[in-house]
Amino acid sequence: MNRYEPESLELSELSPEAMYELFEKHAWGDGLPLVPPTRERVDAMLAFATGDPDEVLTTLLPRAGIVTRRVVAINAVLAGCPPVVFPVVLSAIRALAKPEVNLRGVNATTHLVAPMVIVHGEIVARAGFNAGVGAFGPGNRANATVGRAVRLILLHVAGARPGFGDAATHGQPAKYTYCAAENLPECPWEGYAASRGVHAPSAITVHCGEGPHNVHDAEADGDPALILDKIASSMATLGMNNAPISHGEFFIALGPEHAQSLAMRGLTRTDISSYLYERARIPAGVFRRHFEELAWAQWMKTARDEDRLPMTAHPDNIRVFVAGGPGKHSLVIPSWGMTKSATVAVEG
Amino acid sequence: MATAIYRPDSIPGPEVARLAPSPKSLAGLRIAVLDNGKPNAGVVMTRVAETLAARVGAMVTLVTKKGPRGESANAAIPCAPDVFERVLAEADLVLTGAADCGSCTAYSVVDAIALEKAGVPAVVVTTTKFKPIAETLSEQFGLKETRLLVLPHPIGGTDRETLCQWADAGVERVIAVVTQVR
Repeated sequence: MNRYEPESLELSELSPEAMYELFEKHAWGDGLPLVPPTRERVDAMLAFATGDPDEVLTTLLPRAGIVTRRVVAINAVLAGCPPVVFPVVLSAIRALAKPEVNLRGVNATTHLVAPMVIVHGEIVARAGFNAGVGAFGPGNRANATVGRAVRLILLHVAGARPGFGDAATHGQPAKYTYCAAENLPECPWEGYAASRGVHAPSAITVHCGEGPHNVHDAEADGDPALILDKIASSMATLGMNNAPISHGEFFIALGPEHAQSLAMRGLTRTDISSYLYERARIPAGVFRRHFEELAWAQWMKTARDEDRLPMTAHPDNIRVFVAGGPGKHSLVIPSWGMTKSATVAVEG
Repeated sequence: MATAIYRPDSIPGPEVARLAPSPKSLAGLRIAVLDNGKPNAGVVMTRVAETLAARVGAMVTLVTKKGPRGESANAAIPCAPDVFERVLAEADLVLTGAADCGSCTAYSVVDAIALEKAGVPAVVVTTTKFKPIAETLSEQFGLKETRLLVLPHPIGGTDRETLCQWADAGVERVIAVVTQVR
């Protein structure tokens, strides 16, 4: 099938109550109020994309639901997206469909994994994304609705309905919405997307992992390396899936103040990854005692029990970007494990 | 006033698969256990296979983990190609699992459907708590009729004696799902 035209149905009246009634009947929605996807609203969304609205772009697992620009637009309307962010939602969905993301596993697992969307480049300012104070928090329409639109597409199109296509034991708040912008103006290094070889005016990264874990270092000692020791300590824990799965990534969201302090000491993004790779370690014997199966890189299997092994097989799996506002905080965002992040250009 | 709105879902587009032909008799069949490394998966599935073999005059020819060379396993990805080929070559019936978590259920069903498509009947060993997920995913992946053996929950953390009792009690069900005419 090369083209697909979504079906319509009848909403009894244009009210939140009528939307709730209709969507609950079909077991759709995320539980929050939804904007009715009328033809006019969906067309307004599609005006920000190019190409055939009904062209089949991909399918999303586990349900193998068909993705077209219009299907994405319908869900973006439901989520409350301003049309200007539509290409960001579309690009995030394209990234999630990449095989290395392993969306079938991401959606089906009992783990609480949620796809985080990081927005890079000129669209951050143009569409009003928040990269500063409270970037991962409430109060900004672009951040809130892009993350929510992604979730609604996973629910409706990918079939990630709790208890059926989504077996998450607990779920987590980030499964409602999980989107923040990179704080490029306060990043002392090149932007994250460019560091991954994506040289586009705007880009997005998707990383399927846990919610952010806070790292507070007030820099009282005056030694910025201590910031990294705290981050390493937060990474080296046995409970996260990075522990038994060595190809998983960590995303580290440095607050701008921590980033500046590290850069002033001459540390590059690569230095930071290397340092964390060296410091976030646990003895091989401890890993072996806690896990019946270890999905380790081949070289790690040769370690003696007393050898201290890294939390991930390669420093490049530790990904650093800058986000947030003033304050002495950074974030560790672990992975689900059997997934890889993807960075793609924003395209309509 | 009634208003037309779009449906938010789209049609699912899986390739529809069919079950492999069911054997008329289980006597003489070669049984393989495809272990995804979940705690006790190998224990309970091997017991099912051995009890089944003794009951019907079949034999257990292969017990392997699903990772490369059968040395290890990761439950959240498909069976390694070399192991898949070996299972196809050495077995007429496969028990695969344990499907007692989300991603491991997804990929146990994926492996079972791949085996069925290749002509080898496969039974996904799941649990009461994950039966709804296994059924939903089977349908989503294009083979609603995927053969399931549903054991009590949980497999991980349950003692060997209890697991063996569950396994023995499940053998009749395996015979039923493997031999039933559809």
